[in-house]
Amino acid sequence: MNGKTGKGSAYGWLFQRITGLFLAFFLILHTQMLHFTKDWKIDFNVVTQRLDSTGWVIFYAIFVPAVLFHAFNGVWQVVHDYRPGLGTAKAVKALFWVLGLAISAWGYYLIATFSKGA
Amino acid sequence: MYQAKTGFFGMYRDEVSLNPDVGTWSWLLHRITGLILVLYAFMHFFALSSSVGGASTFNAWLANLQTPLTHVLEIGLMAVVGFHLLNGLRVTAVDFFIWTKPHKTLFWIAMIILVIFMVITLIVFLPRAFSPHH
Repeated sequence: MNGKTGKGSAYGWLFQRITGLFLAFFLILHTQMLHFTKDWKIDFNVVTQRLDSTGWVIFYAIFVPAVLFHAFNGVWQVVHDYRPGLGTAKAVKALFWVLGLAISAWGYYLIATFSKGA
Repeated sequence: MYQAKTGFFGMYRDEVSLNPDVGTWSWLLHRITGLILVLYAFMHFFALSSSVGGASTFNAWLANLQTPLTHVLEIGLMAVVGFHLLNGLRVTAVDFFIWTKPHKTLFWIAMIILVIFMVITLIVFLPRAFSPHH
């Protein structure tokens, strides 16, 4: 780690691991439920029935920002491998935050779409 | 004297040349699988966005995606997810519990679990890929 990113790097490191642990748990459950069941079938009704439960809505509401943070912070690590200058680093970080927040908002709208469809 | 490699992937080739070890390869594979998963996550998000058009639009999208090719690609996706997840758990365990000494053993344990997972995946996914109903 270089000194330019400072304290942010430690938080990035910690949240990457915390979100990673949640995503590991989520993905095991998600893939088991959607792909490894005997009566395997996915359509609009299957999704809306699941999102009829508050527990699942909360679960997906945590999942959306968690996966976006993990993804953008992960790509940031790759950008960081190229030792960007301070200006570039700030611009890339700002872009990733804007994209992450915008896609999170879109994700919440999609969850609401499925919840309303039930 | 070592001559640093140039080009877009120069630094990654340097890492592999200077330290061709389990830790370096797992680090590189974690980067590669991570980038594949980011691309997949955006495609997944894009497909889910069809729900805005209602049930019929969403179901039409899903029906178009149920092809033998996509089911075969899903097997590859499981391998990518499996590697990233298991290696990620290993990295987190090494970091949190300071298990730096057994990190290579942990890597091979993760790979054995991955092989078992992939055998199960093939058993479940292959018939689906060649079933005329999906």
